[in-house]
Amino acid sequence: MSESSAAAALAASQYREGAGTLIGRALRRLVVYALLLLGAAVMLFPFLWMVSTSLKQDFALFVTPPKLIPSPVETHNYTRVGELMPIWRILFNSVFVAALSTALAVFTSAMAAYAFARLRFPGRDALFFVYLATLMVPFQVTIVPLFIEMKHLGFVNSYPGLILPTIASAFGTFLLRQQFLTLPRELEEAAFMDGAGHWTVFTRIIVPLGAPALATFGIFAFMASWNSFLWPLVIINSQNLMTLPLGLANLHGQYTTQWNLVMAGTTISVVPILVVYLLAQKYIVRGFVFSGIKG
Amino acid sequence: MRSSIRRLVTVAVAIAGVVALAGFAWTSTPTSRGKATKVNLTYFTFSAAPDHLKDLQNIINGFERAHPNIHINVQTASYNDYFTKLQTQIESEQAPDSFELNYENFVTYAAAGKLLNLSKIAKGDRSFRASIYYPRAYKVFQLRGRQYGLPETFSVVLLFYNKDLFRQAGVPLPKKTWKWKDELAAAKRLTNSAKGVFGDFQPIQFFEFYKVLAQNGGTFFNAKKTRATFDSPKGIAALNWLLSKTAQGVMPSKTQMGGLDDTAMFKAGKLAMWHNGIWQFAGLKDAPFSWDVTVEPGNVRKAHHFFANAVVASAKTKHKREAWAWLRYFSSSSNAVKTRVKSSWELPAVRNPSLFKPYLAERPPQNRAAVFQALSNIVTPPVIKQEQQLQDIVGKWLDKAVAGQVSAAQALHSAAAEVNDLLKNE
Repeated sequence: MSESSAAAALAASQYREGAGTLIGRALRRLVVYALLLLGAAVMLFPFLWMVSTSLKQDFALFVTPPKLIPSPVETHNYTRVGELMPIWRILFNSVFVAALSTALAVFTSAMAAYAFARLRFPGRDALFFVYLATLMVPFQVTIVPLFIEMKHLGFVNSYPGLILPTIASAFGTFLLRQQFLTLPRELEEAAFMDGAGHWTVFTRIIVPLGAPALATFGIFAFMASWNSFLWPLVIINSQNLMTLPLGLANLHGQYTTQWNLVMAGTTISVVPILVVYLLAQKYIVRGFVFSGIKG
Repeated sequence: MRSSIRRLVTVAVAIAGVVALAGFAWTSTPTSRGKATKVNLTYFTFSAAPDHLKDLQNIINGFERAHPNIHINVQTASYNDYFTKLQTQIESEQAPDSFELNYENFVTYAAAGKLLNLSKIAKGDRSFRASIYYPRAYKVFQLRGRQYGLPETFSVVLLFYNKDLFRQAGVPLPKKTWKWKDELAAAKRLTNSAKGVFGDFQPIQFFEFYKVLAQNGGTFFNAKKTRATFDSPKGIAALNWLLSKTAQGVMPSKTQMGGLDDTAMFKAGKLAMWHNGIWQFAGLKDAPFSWDVTVEPGNVRKAHHFFANAVVASAKTKHKREAWAWLRYFSSSSNAVKTRVKSSWELPAVRNPSLFKPYLAERPPQNRAAVFQALSNIVTPPVIKQEQQLQDIVGKWLDKAVAGQVSAAQALHSAAAEVNDLLKNE
């Protein structure tokens, strides 16, 4: 971030000096790209190191000086991860749970946000603040009561047990309510005049206009579910229902850890989130700017 | 845009419905299966994953063949997360029927009344012989005269050494009769700063400290465990012995290690001697240098760690008999013992030496006999109910001594004062 802003400042100052010749412009571009490349290299290095480690043999991990390119290249770590756990099933679980809980969280948050932004009922604001206050309660505090609740619902060690607790989000409701408040009321009033009900206004006006905010929250929800560890750890018992963070944690032994195995598993787990990022890049950047919060 | 959003909403609603239905389907299955007479017994473990899940399944298969009415459901978590999950389950009255505990955590759970008293069941089981277990390992899982766990495995710590580095430096290999001063003399000759090689490494933490304390003839508590005695002159000398290794340059400081841990350094051939546990054998199998082990040097006396895991049953289990049968089978049946020895899945805590023949025959290391020599003078970690707090206090002050913020004497006196306060609440 700082590199690019420095580059922008540099470019701007050069522009003011009137160095607008062809060579000057090319030079400027060169400097900007060099700085951007440097920034990219710094950000990408840990990922490269992860992939490199995942392709190394055990005793090549700690040689000094460290080598980025593994030799020989060892693909055994990947097959070993496959032997040790049902990695495709675990990957599927992660994608399935994240997608479903995201869809549901966006849906419930949007409806709640609409109610808090547009409907008038006694105690609305008080209710909203109580709802917001739940953001202050750390999850660790509620984990035992929540577990007991899931036990009585019969959801221990099941997909619903994984998904249900995540589908109501105070953060999402807050984010979307603030966004909905900025939408012009006149549009809805026109719709009401034409005989539309709340459902129509919600689905035809609010949701389409609030789409960028919905997408932003969707990405947050997806990442939260994807990275979630503590709740899956507690609620899931069988390997076939584990999500990726849980499966990866199982690669650590009591006394020792084979880092090349852990890195192979981590590489596998990063790929889907990379795909999501590439598809939704625009919204993610906007989301960080919009909310001022980094994943 | 508008129609696609509407479709999205419809899909979300549909999905919500499906989840709700799936949830109900889930809840209804166990009741319809409840008619079967088969007992489902859960077993929660930290030691099986990742490498020994198949071995665990082998043992379970053998058990289920012998007890066709019992089915074992395995739950696993890595050691670091295991106790978070176990505590949540116990607090929510959903404790697994049987589970694993290491010795350091055993007293906490036993004293809190969370474990099934096995003494009565053992008495009623005429085919059970406690003498099948290694006696010390069996005894440590007792509290106030009651047996709460069956010893499952044990580990000891040995002196690992890189033979190639010894040969290059022309230093004679470590002997089992060595004392601290012999170790230090060799370490000095083995340290080669030009090559980045250090002569020795011994972690300075709770577990190493209680052991060197014993090697120096000191004790951790008084006999009644009402007062800490580890800050005696013997204790201070023991800590100074550990600190002197770095001070004399034969053991790397944290800065000199540059982010590598001791395992990485030994594997990279940068440590000539290394105090670590027999669980490292598997990871060193393909080392590009030759290495071996011997019992650790003592000072006033010899003393070796004794780490042990036990299998226990929950006090709340509805299937006491079945749990007992499983604990017995898992800790001592010949199938379980053989499977463990064959796959180097720690060492079963049984006494019959003939069972360990395949283990002793395996190479490397050459001197596997040292594992059993170490057993002749073991010390168990000091345990109290508030074990975690105890380890935190001692660890904190050891860290300060390592960082040079306080002297060994100051660190131990301060730690002892805090531990004494802790003991008042035991």
